[in-house]
Amino acid sequence: MGFKVLSGNGAQAEAARLARVQVIAAYPITPQTTIVEALADMVASGELKAQYVKVESEHSALQVCLSAAALGARTYSATSSQGLLLMHELLHWASGQRTPMVLGVVNRAVAPPWNIGADHADTMSQRDTGWIQFYPESNQEVLDTVLTAYRLVEDPEIRLPAMVTEDAFYLSHTFEPVDVPDPKVVDTFLPPKDARAILRPGVVSRLGSFTGPDHYVDFRHQVAEAMDRVLPKLQEVESEYARRSGRDLGGPLVGYRTEDADAVLLTLGTISTTARGVVDELRSSGQKVGMAKLRVFRPFPVEAVRALARDVSRLGVLDRSFTFGSSGPAASEVRSALYGVPSPPSVTSFLAGIGGRDVGPKDLHRVFQALLSSRSTGPRWMDLETDGGVVVHG
Amino acid sequence: MAKLTIPREELMYSGHAACPGCGPALAMRFLLKGLGPRTVVSVPASCWSVIATPYPTTALGVGMLDNAIEATGASISGLRAAADALGLEDLNVVGFAGDGGTADIGLQSLSGMLERRTDALYVMYDNEAYMNTGVQRSSATPQGAWTTTTPVAGEARGKLEPKKDIMAIVLAHHPVYAATLNPSFPEDFVRKVERARGMRGPRFFHVYAACPPGWRYDSDQTIELGKLATYTGIFPLYEVENGQLRITRRMGQLKPVEDYLAAQGRFRHFSPEEVRQVKEQAEARWADLLAREKATSTPAPVREVPPAGAPAPRPSATT
Amino acid sequence: MLEIRFHGRGGQGAVVASELLAQAVFFDGKVAQSFPFFGVERRGAPVTAFTRIDDHPIELRSFIEHPDVVVVLDPGLLRDTPVTGGLKPGGLLLVNSPQAPGAFSLPQGGTLATVDATRIAVGRKVGTATMPVVNTAMLGALARVTGAFTEASLERAIVAFVPSHPEENRAAARDGAESVRMEPVAPSSRPSPPSEEAAPLPFPEGPVASLPSNILHTSSWRTLRPVIDRDRCTRCNFCWEFCPDDAFDFDAEGFPVVKLLYCKGCGICATECPPDAIQMVTEA
Repeated sequence: MGFKVLSGNGAQAEAARLARVQVIAAYPITPQTTIVEALADMVASGELKAQYVKVESEHSALQVCLSAAALGARTYSATSSQGLLLMHELLHWASGQRTPMVLGVVNRAVAPPWNIGADHADTMSQRDTGWIQFYPESNQEVLDTVLTAYRLVEDPEIRLPAMVTEDAFYLSHTFEPVDVPDPKVVDTFLPPKDARAILRPGVVSRLGSFTGPDHYVDFRHQVAEAMDRVLPKLQEVESEYARRSGRDLGGPLVGYRTEDADAVLLTLGTISTTARGVVDELRSSGQKVGMAKLRVFRPFPVEAVRALARDVSRLGVLDRSFTFGSSGPAASEVRSALYGVPSPPSVTSFLAGIGGRDVGPKDLHRVFQALLSSRSTGPRWMDLETDGGVVVHG
Repeated sequence: MAKLTIPREELMYSGHAACPGCGPALAMRFLLKGLGPRTVVSVPASCWSVIATPYPTTALGVGMLDNAIEATGASISGLRAAADALGLEDLNVVGFAGDGGTADIGLQSLSGMLERRTDALYVMYDNEAYMNTGVQRSSATPQGAWTTTTPVAGEARGKLEPKKDIMAIVLAHHPVYAATLNPSFPEDFVRKVERARGMRGPRFFHVYAACPPGWRYDSDQTIELGKLATYTGIFPLYEVENGQLRITRRMGQLKPVEDYLAAQGRFRHFSPEEVRQVKEQAEARWADLLAREKATSTPAPVREVPPAGAPAPRPSATT
Repeated sequence: MLEIRFHGRGGQGAVVASELLAQAVFFDGKVAQSFPFFGVERRGAPVTAFTRIDDHPIELRSFIEHPDVVVVLDPGLLRDTPVTGGLKPGGLLLVNSPQAPGAFSLPQGGTLATVDATRIAVGRKVGTATMPVVNTAMLGALARVTGAFTEASLERAIVAFVPSHPEENRAAARDGAESVRMEPVAPSSRPSPPSEEAAPLPFPEGPVASLPSNILHTSSWRTLRPVIDRDRCTRCNFCWEFCPDDAFDFDAEGFPVVKLLYCKGCGICATECPPDAIQMVTEA
């Protein structure tokens, strides 16, 4: 197929097209809207043969996908911020009913005050809903992750929903070249969804049901066990994708120059790209630092984090949202993962990029200097520590 | 044995968990008789999510999908979309929701489903309160009725506000077919189901669903009460097809509403003045229906826009 | 500490009974803890409630597995609910029944007591004829046979907290106390049959229910049973047509037959039968 210049939202739509989704539920919200617009065009032109359901809310968007998936269709929808929050109740239904589906989420700040900038508070608030969560850093990674996510969630051993996020504007509206795989390659990698749906005409079955304390726990435990199978399964799926597409997504935690590093910074989403550049700069000036991108937040890659931390004395975790009364959500996960590890590193919680605040190399230099020099483990709101730098209000 | 006037086949299993004398149970039984086995039913939180019995059993001989209380309209839009995408065009897609799940919390989703012209049947079984949680008022509770959240004590006289007119709201969306149904009239009930089954586009049923514990009457009176509801003009039976209204149970003279009200504990506190108001409303409702039937007796222009590919009407289910 | 477990059916007032009991115990100056177990909240469906009584604050919040007393508000429950499960040896079983205590068995030994609470409730016009509310009569009997709370406090609680017909309920409680019969039973030499362990269910992935509900029997919900008079029956099928439980079948000659496993005794068939060929009779 070759390269196309795509926005992150364009990459989501391209991936949905390549996945041959059968039912799309569409509702607009900034900065997601261009995804469902692109899909509308694809369906209208006949390029994509799918039922395009124009719903009256995000809540209904997710219900359309839930019910369509229950009957065996491959579904797609996308949302952001308030829209994801409105879906919250149904996110639990998706995992509880073991409904494989993929949802695109453009990470955007949560009101009030209204703000459409990049921020992870929307998806981090969905941590406990039983969804797999991916945080890509580039439009290429968005496209590749959506395709691998479909293959992963439809695996009979998994059957859980997944959200593939992208930072508002830094990906959603950023155009860059994306290697779009040949449809034939995708069709081989991602065959049509297993038609053995739970609900079929003429079959007596009730999906959802109700139970007392006798059986409920069994179903909860099943979700937990399926979640435990995700990371090993993801490794298989990504290896096959790498064989077919030539691109290795790198698993749930992708380290960079972490060997012999004294300090390593964990990042999510687009800040990872800038952090990689800053690591190179610091390395060239002799500072032993590295970074690691947390691609998968749920399930949390505990073993990978422990392996990374083995030879590191200082870990920083940079979150783009905050758990009020605690720390950055990824930071507390990392601390929890390292509990009981012999001589663990210190773990410092940094907050940066809240509500679309720009995070440039200068900001990340400050983060690394704080990580290397300070004994404080935070939380440190780096957006507010300007060091005489310029804060852009806009 | 006399000839059966409704289909013999049962697609609702015994052993279900409805209260004795349950109107919604009869409504489901008749509905499935009319629809046949190629059916999937989406059911929100409501009496029926419990009536259908706990895991691992189900009371429906067809597919059943549970959905969140406010999402039935969207759920059947999703089922229809998947059915069409998967080549299951003959599948009857049905939502079966209570009055709270339809006229209150589910109204947005219902409106969305009707407006986007989902090819599906939405059934509101109206037991006129939140019965699954133990008789709290809904917007469909009749004016003056006792519920646990509209008590009758001191100055309080039950529900203050009139019953929400769900049929008017639905008809404002111009469905291809909308009808009122009452399990006390099984032949009329099943005929309307069979009629709706053969159509394409959004269809809506408002089903009278008597509730012995919630309305406070003896369980053996469910059918008698339903007959009275229709004969008094409280719940007249009619259907609207492409804007044309037709009364399906004609009364020369309405029966006294007192007979209906006195049979139920929830109205026991009514004063003669309150009874008179109900009577006037029933008479006005009936007069309005007669007038609308006359006014729409010439066919209205067909509003339904057939979807691309204009599929043929659904083949009748084999029962 | 005295632990009591109530077994009743939705609408009989088992949950209210445990609440009233807690109030009566409180009036006695003791500590009570009453709580229901919510399963299917349906009129007629089996329900369970628990009450603990002690002189001291109760440091325990869990179901009562080994009660000292079991109160059965409906004898129909004895047909298929293991109501005496876990009852302590030497414990008390109080049943709402017109029969003498000797009509029931208690293999582990203890005390059997019976009171005809349904007759009392109907007589005192508490509830309706199809669904008499027997809880206050049962509580009166319970006060008398256990002595765990005073009848005076029970009556005070009824007057203060029963919303409708408190005086009739108070009279019912008094009738219950006056007419309860009890007799001790020695442990049976025959070992009781091993309790049935529920077979583990094969779990599919996800909450998918696919067994038809007709494997569940709802006969125990019933207080009245339809009896068909074939001489009057015209085989018009109205009983079949209007049954919300699909509890009718037809025999070879086309006469309706009641499926007693499922009939909940609502009485619609009897009311709708044009030739009055169906009578509702009280379940034995």
